[in-house]
Amino acid sequence: MTNSQLIAKLNNLKKVNPDQKWLESNRELLLSQVSNSGAENLSIWKVMIINVSSVFKSAAQPAYALGVFIFLLLAGSLFSGPLLAKTKPNDSLYIARIISEKVKVNTTFSSVARNKMEVKFASEHAQDISVILSDPAFNNEANQDQVARLNNSFNEEVKTVKERIGRLSASGAAVSDNPSASKNDEVIIADSTKDGQGIQLSVQPLISATATLAIPAGFNLNATSVDLMATSTETEKVEPTKADKIIDEAQTLFDSKDYVKASDKLNEAYEIIK
Amino acid sequence: MSINLVQKFKDQQVLSKLKSCDKEAFIKVYDDNVKDIHRFVYFKIGGREEANDLTSMIFLKAWNHIQNKTLEDAKTLRALLYKIARNAIVDYYRETGNKVTASLDDEDNRLEVIDEAENPQERLDRTADLELIKSKLPLLKEEYREVIIMKFVNDLSLKEIAEISEKSKGNVRVLLHRALNALRELVEQDTKQGIKQDTKQAKLAGNQGAKL
Repeated sequence: MTNSQLIAKLNNLKKVNPDQKWLESNRELLLSQVSNSGAENLSIWKVMIINVSSVFKSAAQPAYALGVFIFLLLAGSLFSGPLLAKTKPNDSLYIARIISEKVKVNTTFSSVARNKMEVKFASEHAQDISVILSDPAFNNEANQDQVARLNNSFNEEVKTVKERIGRLSASGAAVSDNPSASKNDEVIIADSTKDGQGIQLSVQPLISATATLAIPAGFNLNATSVDLMATSTETEKVEPTKADKIIDEAQTLFDSKDYVKASDKLNEAYEIIK
Repeated sequence: MSINLVQKFKDQQVLSKLKSCDKEAFIKVYDDNVKDIHRFVYFKIGGREEANDLTSMIFLKAWNHIQNKTLEDAKTLRALLYKIARNAIVDYYRETGNKVTASLDDEDNRLEVIDEAENPQERLDRTADLELIKSKLPLLKEEYREVIIMKFVNDLSLKEIAEISEKSKGNVRVLLHRALNALRELVEQDTKQGIKQDTKQAKLAGNQGAKL
């Protein structure tokens, strides 16, 4: 006899049931005993609450888990950001800050925004390092290894800042050091002369068109070429050399162990870049 | 999948209501499980009247658990009922001082299984199978009999059996395999003996005929 044959025989035992009369009488007895023990029927509100919670517990378990996961992810990214931003290079959670910054950079699609973000983060790191090294309680003979590591890190961060500024200028993104310049100005240049003199019109779209006209003496109005240059809202005039110079100054100050001024210079460079 | 979800919802609903001591939910639990529990007890101890009494006691104990809020986080109600049933059977053994020795073939209380869908031949075959298995089950070891009843008679899953018997799923699987082998040996032994006896009787009848 095989196991399956034996199991088939065993399955027949499922049809063995107690006597129907006994079932009914026992049910009545049980019901009376349960009622005597003080059990009452649930109120409608309680039943409704139970039904709703049962729906969530039974049907939504996978969705629940996903929802909780997404909530934790969002909450973590919302609340941990400001907290992590305060960590310093010699803190244990500093690596978490680096990781979260990398995630932000990698999830930014615009290359311009990405480069600016990297400049921001690198300059912040460099500033943090300067601040730590300016503390005599840390910068002493006992911590020479860590000091050397931080020095290397500073150089790396400065290198990153320079590279990113280079990329920004190469991609045509501009940084203006004139905060009063309007970002929405359209500049139209008409120049038909070889000596570079021409008519420059500044037009403000949407509101009004104001034109400042400067016509040099002897200008030939038979213009044969018109150059139109429009600046978009995203681009501003580039001043990479100025920021680069300030960064070089910061590096020099850092090498001469004037950490406070180095940090100030880095801040200044970042203000120009942003 | 939708059937599973509906069933999960119903189970969750009943469990929540029970934890709030709802008597209607408890009566529903009784209606859904009384036959299985009765069958389990009956095949374990062998007597119908005793099975009736024990089954009533099991459900009363379950109600006490609910009232005393000791339902805890019972994963399934079925597991709780079976655990109470096992403990009740152990207490019964302790009181009566014996385990199942008598065959389940009780002449006074023969269990009749009436299935209207069957033809007479099918019913005859099934009755024969029933009697055979019923006679061999009490001869098995206690734990073998228990897992066989839970798995093949009451259709519990391996997970439920493991929870009830506080064993791992692997252990339960191995136990089932051994239990089936042991039962099969008993049944085959019986079949061989039956064939031998038939052959003997046939020979005797043949000899008598020859003499005449």
